[in-house]
Amino acid sequence: MFPDLRHPKVYLSLALFLLMFLVPAVMGTPFWTNLFVLLFVFSSLSVAWNIVGGYAGQLSLGHAVFYGIGGYTATLLTQNFGITPWIGMLAGAVISGVVAIIIAYPTLRLRGPFFALATIAILEVVRLLVIHEESWTGGSSGISLPLNIGWAWIVFRQKINYVIIAFFLFLFVVWVSWFIRKSRIGHYLIAIREREDAALAVGIHAVRVKILAAVVSAMLTSLVGTFHITYLTFVDPSSAFSLDLSIQIAMFALIGGLGTVGGPIAGTFLVLPIAELARGWLSGVGNGMHGLIYGLILVAVVLTIPRGLAGAFGPALERLVAKFPYLGARKPFAAKQSAASATSLRELGQPVLRAEGLFKNFGGLRATNDVSLQLHEHEILGVIGPNGAGKTTVFNLLSGFLSPDKGTVTLRDADGSWVSCKTPDAFAHKGLGRTFQTAKPFTGLTVLENIMLGAFIHTRDRDEAEQIALAIAEQTDLVKSLNTEARNLTVGGMKRLEIARALATKPKILLLDEVMAGLNPTDIEKAIQMIKRIRDSGVSVLFIEHMMQATMALSDRIIVINEGAVLVSGAPKDVVENPAVIEAYLGKEYQDA
Amino acid sequence: MDIFVQLVINGLLLGGAYTIISLGLTLIFGVVRVVNFAHGEFLMIGMYMVYLIAANFGVHPYAGLIPVAIVLFALGALTQKTIIQPLLNADEHIQIFATVGVSTILLNLALVIFGANVYRAPADLGTHAINVGAYTVVTGQVITFVVGISLAILLQWFMHRTYLGRALRAVAQHRYAAMLMGVNVHNVYAIAFGLGTAFVGIAAGLLAPQYPVFPTVGTYFVLTAFVIVVLGGLGSLYGAVAGSMILGVVDTLAGYYIAPDLKEVVYFGIFLLILVLRPTGLFGIGTE
Repeated sequence: MFPDLRHPKVYLSLALFLLMFLVPAVMGTPFWTNLFVLLFVFSSLSVAWNIVGGYAGQLSLGHAVFYGIGGYTATLLTQNFGITPWIGMLAGAVISGVVAIIIAYPTLRLRGPFFALATIAILEVVRLLVIHEESWTGGSSGISLPLNIGWAWIVFRQKINYVIIAFFLFLFVVWVSWFIRKSRIGHYLIAIREREDAALAVGIHAVRVKILAAVVSAMLTSLVGTFHITYLTFVDPSSAFSLDLSIQIAMFALIGGLGTVGGPIAGTFLVLPIAELARGWLSGVGNGMHGLIYGLILVAVVLTIPRGLAGAFGPALERLVAKFPYLGARKPFAAKQSAASATSLRELGQPVLRAEGLFKNFGGLRATNDVSLQLHEHEILGVIGPNGAGKTTVFNLLSGFLSPDKGTVTLRDADGSWVSCKTPDAFAHKGLGRTFQTAKPFTGLTVLENIMLGAFIHTRDRDEAEQIALAIAEQTDLVKSLNTEARNLTVGGMKRLEIARALATKPKILLLDEVMAGLNPTDIEKAIQMIKRIRDSGVSVLFIEHMMQATMALSDRIIVINEGAVLVSGAPKDVVENPAVIEAYLGKEYQDA
Repeated sequence: MDIFVQLVINGLLLGGAYTIISLGLTLIFGVVRVVNFAHGEFLMIGMYMVYLIAANFGVHPYAGLIPVAIVLFALGALTQKTIIQPLLNADEHIQIFATVGVSTILLNLALVIFGANVYRAPADLGTHAINVGAYTVVTGQVITFVVGISLAILLQWFMHRTYLGRALRAVAQHRYAAMLMGVNVHNVYAIAFGLGTAFVGIAAGLLAPQYPVFPTVGTYFVLTAFVIVVLGGLGSLYGAVAGSMILGVVDTLAGYYIAPDLKEVVYFGIFLLILVLRPTGLFGIGTE
């Protein structure tokens, strides 16, 4: 819930925040108080934006919608009903949250520029509607806040009071952002941003998580917006629902470093003072000066340090911070040995996964033609077939990534009852894990964090997820590279990571898609042993493989798929000697020869 | 009925102006695969140049658009070479920020140089209203419409009948395959971007008799152009023309029958519906 105060990163950050507060408090002139109110407000807006724009990777260029909704709600409530802006602030946040759900639900599927354009369009629509509804919004001329002085109305003569409120809002927003980044939701958001399909495979409900992020971000933006507008004591559509403001918020986050907690703060504190100073020095030049500086810095950052200040200077800063001592004794960091369930019942048990009469067409191509199969407890079932036979389609049908045109897939859940699922994440929750043919680690996360993503399916607790992940890493031979970024692994390492992530969801059924392709002979031998160990720990395995040597060594049973249909199934020896199989692979001539 | 027909005529004529801007935008996206958020600011620059030429040398905007289009071609190509080119393989959001940054720079540069004042290029030709039967049209709008349609046909011919046009299409379809066929992809990108911005240079000259110029004039037009190309399908030339006509008519009809200040709400509403329900647009080549 709260950061560990004894950690150097934490106490240094807090000291820095305190310093940020002391500067305007000591200097005391209107210039300094105004500058720091702006800094806290814009940092907070940028940090809040970053939850959607950075963590979730959905580039909103219309975030001023929530800023304006907050401001208008509070101002209208104060003006018409004499309600304090504190309540207006909360009311605005609730309305913004609801609006965020309405906006996010349909637009979530849009990526990159299309999402950005949609958010701009929404911003414009809201702005025009507010102008149009002149009777109660004041139209394009806007409304002024009644000037009642005092804490109840957030209007002060002593400007330092504004700094105090702005500072605590800032702390709150930063805390929320930090909490999200460190929690399960934060990991999920990054996973979805990097690889949505792999995220689904570890049981992440992508839509729900994204909407949650959108709502939190909107509510925070609205809170801060309300405060800023009461500070300005005036609100009008062109400044409240402004595209410029939206771009500015996003720009600060990018300059500081997208997706990091501290980045947006650093970006704001670097760029905003430069622009404010320029505005002061070059006041004769006219209006556009600060905007021009923003634009120039943005383009320069994009071209030179696209990962922002955090990407460019973060590692050096981390090293510097690491030199400071941890205050007090560290919690012992010992991987709890998970009691490996050594139930190595070898005889085949009950069926755990059943596919019946699966059909799937892609346009005119019948990719799957009446496939039925069963996977039993403790079984290793190999699926082979020539290239283009439709193995991966069957796999996608079995794991919910495709839904069959006809037929059913059912699996036995933990209680022993047969269930069928609609979505990949639902399959994952019912105990089915899978890997992808092309290894898809979540780049930008460490190996440990990659595995933890799977473990989060059973626990919200970070430490517990870490424990599970450590145990799995041992099982999959990944302990040495736990803290390296996943993109730096070798092919063999990535394939093992795929398995580890699937295992971390503690599946009863594991689907492996060509996990041995591209491995060298030693790695293949290791992989075979590993898959056997996995089976012995009580998991049923279904795998696609081209490596015949491995398939023969591993499989209890083999299914051959050709032209979308099951050709033969049976014990490995019988299958490979079956004439139909040889013909499917090598052609009739070979059989006759 | 008369009013309705008049509105449709006005809408189609307005669509002519939109066509030119949208063709440029869709060409850049279709080939370079970058959504150019600075497109409107190039238009704005073009309009200032047209104004300066007209005000200082007494050259009519219709003649002034020729040097302006050439300068904008160079400016577009330069932007591509210096800013977009290095980011071609970068994340999508970095590309968005790059063009947003260019847009911010240009807009504020205009604000610094010209202030927020509104300037109108002196022009005689193009501002008269003429009567055709029961209906009234403005000569400038008719000229813009004719030029817009001609440009669309010319561009279609260029893309299908010339080596350069084929190279553009080849690069649009598969960057690496085109490279293997000996197409200089970097130059093709620069040309595509330059052509796209040259189009707004032409539009700047044609719009000058009807519209004054101010720093945010580009934003006004480009948001409409985005709606059009998404409606028609990003990258589709037919889509850009059809989308322009549809939006022109929606613009005038909504302005008359709903409310003048809500016409944008109507087409942004259409825009959002299209984005959500059919993101490839009506004639789109897809969004990958």
